[in-house]
Amino acid sequence: MKLLEIRDNLGYYLDANNAFVLIDKITKEDLLRLVDQTLNKDVEFDEYNDEAVKNQAHQILYKSIFEKLQDLKVRRKEFTDESKRLYLQEHEWYRKK
Amino acid sequence: MNKIDLHIHTIPTVSDSPFSFKLATLRRYVVEAALDAIAITNHNVFDRSQFTAIDNELDVVVFPGIEVTLDCGHILIISDIAKLNQFEKQAQQLHSRITQAHDSITIDELTKIFHNLEEYLVIPHYDKKPAIKDDALKRMAKYVSAGEVDSAKKFIRAIKDDAKVTPVLFSDIRIGDTLDNIPTRQTFVDCGEVTLAALKKCLQDKGKVALSEAHGNSLFQIFDDGQKLSTGLNILLGERSSGKTYTLDKINASHDQVKYIKQFSLVQQDEVACEREFSRDLQRTRSQFIEEYLSRFKIVLNDVMNVDLYSDDREVDNYILNLHEAAEEADRRDAFSNCALFDESEFSISDDKVLIELIASIRQIIQNVEYQPIINKYVDRQSLKQLAVELIELLWARGREWKKKTIVNEMVLEIRQALKRRTSTVQVPDVNLYRVSLNKKKVETFSEIVKCLQEHAVISEEPIQRFRVIATKDPFAGAGEIKSISGVKTTFRESFAEYAHPYKYLQALLSNDDLTRSEIYKYFVKITYSILNPDGFEVSGGERSEFRLLQAIKDAQNYDILLVDEPESSFDNLFLRSDVNKIIKEISETMPVVVVTHNSTVGASVGADYLLYARKEIEEGKVVYRLYSGYPTDLTLHSLDGKAISNYQITMNSLEAGCEAYDNRRNGYEAIRDKG
Repeated sequence: MKLLEIRDNLGYYLDANNAFVLIDKITKEDLLRLVDQTLNKDVEFDEYNDEAVKNQAHQILYKSIFEKLQDLKVRRKEFTDESKRLYLQEHEWYRKK
Repeated sequence: MNKIDLHIHTIPTVSDSPFSFKLATLRRYVVEAALDAIAITNHNVFDRSQFTAIDNELDVVVFPGIEVTLDCGHILIISDIAKLNQFEKQAQQLHSRITQAHDSITIDELTKIFHNLEEYLVIPHYDKKPAIKDDALKRMAKYVSAGEVDSAKKFIRAIKDDAKVTPVLFSDIRIGDTLDNIPTRQTFVDCGEVTLAALKKCLQDKGKVALSEAHGNSLFQIFDDGQKLSTGLNILLGERSSGKTYTLDKINASHDQVKYIKQFSLVQQDEVACEREFSRDLQRTRSQFIEEYLSRFKIVLNDVMNVDLYSDDREVDNYILNLHEAAEEADRRDAFSNCALFDESEFSISDDKVLIELIASIRQIIQNVEYQPIINKYVDRQSLKQLAVELIELLWARGREWKKKTIVNEMVLEIRQALKRRTSTVQVPDVNLYRVSLNKKKVETFSEIVKCLQEHAVISEEPIQRFRVIATKDPFAGAGEIKSISGVKTTFRESFAEYAHPYKYLQALLSNDDLTRSEIYKYFVKITYSILNPDGFEVSGGERSEFRLLQAIKDAQNYDILLVDEPESSFDNLFLRSDVNKIIKEISETMPVVVVTHNSTVGASVGADYLLYARKEIEEGKVVYRLYSGYPTDLTLHSLDGKAISNYQITMNSLEAGCEAYDNRRNGYEAIRDKG
């Protein structure tokens, strides 16, 4: 599933309706959803480069968000393992008793 | 047998309360207690002239001694009188070392001062405060002849246990102007002529020390008039107003560490107040269990307390707002804001928690001894070791990587700040989205745990005789319940409005300044104790009293003597026979117990070791309270002044309301049995 896309020199993100929307429309809620998808699903993004995104505003937005999501994608397995083990013993203890 | 007391104080020191020594008082004690030998053992001091005066005055053997304050406990060093000169010098050396109340010396210093401790009788405080520490006792084992205890119970415990040293019971008395009661703590030794050498040899054999002269360790002296009690179970009989409770009060007053269950003390007077007090007591005694049960939750809660989702939300909000602003101003960028590092975000750094835990788990499998055969069946140990090595090496490599990235992050941050100072362009802020996501996950898991925690369940069941104590957990029904367990004068109404949302509830509790953070874990789940009777129902008022009696008797294990005054006044025969007798008998195997009773179920069925009979007698127009005593199988019981009384007669009168009534009852029962 692709979350970030570069098309016609502009940056896009996948919104809640699975439609690509211009990156300058992104909200906090959108970002948190993208973060959630990145950490829980197999996702991909168009690689950022200055040549592909000509719009200066999009450059700043796309680059920053791309780098953040890319970092999370790299740490996805770590996040999965860490979440699974989170308070695991305590959770099991109180589930049983 | 010789009666000895080798622990007597005659000089007030920094370690004592003030007293003024009188030789006449010491003489009275030695004569009235019929002692054969004593030792003068003051704290860290030996006064030769006083010792000589004492020795000259008394007709018994007097040993010179000293009670030494070691850093690992107190110890008596008693010398042969023939070595008085040497002992005096050594005691002087010791005295110069210990001048303040908190001063002490080490074992090495002690052996340096007294050279060869084998020449002395060495008796440490053993089962008595301040008791010598185990490792110190091991170090001194070759010098130690006996260990001092401070009660008959502890004496018997040491006698019965082969691993323990020979016990001795001494008065540890301060001889002042007067003596209200003659101490009853002395030891009988079978050593022939009392010399230091004979004592040392005798103390090597537990069979040669006893609490009483004629009855070995089955009896011990309880009052200064010579009255003895069994070290096991004593039954005290007598008519109304014959001095039974007076006798119990006297034992209670003259001994420390007495557990005294008074008549009617466990019977409820006011049902509501009694129930409240009972629940409170129960809750208090079980608080350790609650602590333990909630200890895991505490770990989670302490971590979640540091999670601030609202702050995380603001941070993300701030990031996105500034990002948009920076984008809008993109065409206004200058030489500073155009630098690549101007908007650079930091490298995210992992704490490698998962990897560290994984290595620990593998290490546990490798190091486990108990289940090694099973592990070896499925896993090749060599491969496991290689796996551990590879993961450890990975951890080190990642650690190095994080270190480098941390340095770069610091540099980037510094440069970003420097560039920012030179331009008015909006800078894209940084945000740690990994941490934000993990925090959300933490809160989700925390909420699930709280939900599990609040589900109704029985979390412990403990049988206590025929009762069962059960602990149940439930959600709190209202703010009032939380307030009552918190003991804090504050309102929980606002917080409780969020009770269904654990994280919000936590935030509400945290914002209440009247609450202590470390106590908040108690306000999530209600843990209630109830006592169930054998039918599985919650106990009635009467049963609650029975439970309290059993608990009180059980609690007596922490004391030296147990006194129970007329248990039948509050309980029925069935309960007395099935539970009380059993538990009293059990506990009397480890400590002296005195039960006052009129009841045949207790008195005749419990299996007493010793019988006492209190009687009010009129002699020459005066009231005399007399105690008769003897073994249950004795035909007659005797008083200390030589009077005798028929055991059969008093047992019948006390427990069966007289022979005639007993015969009538028996005939009545026989008649019923024949018909059946």
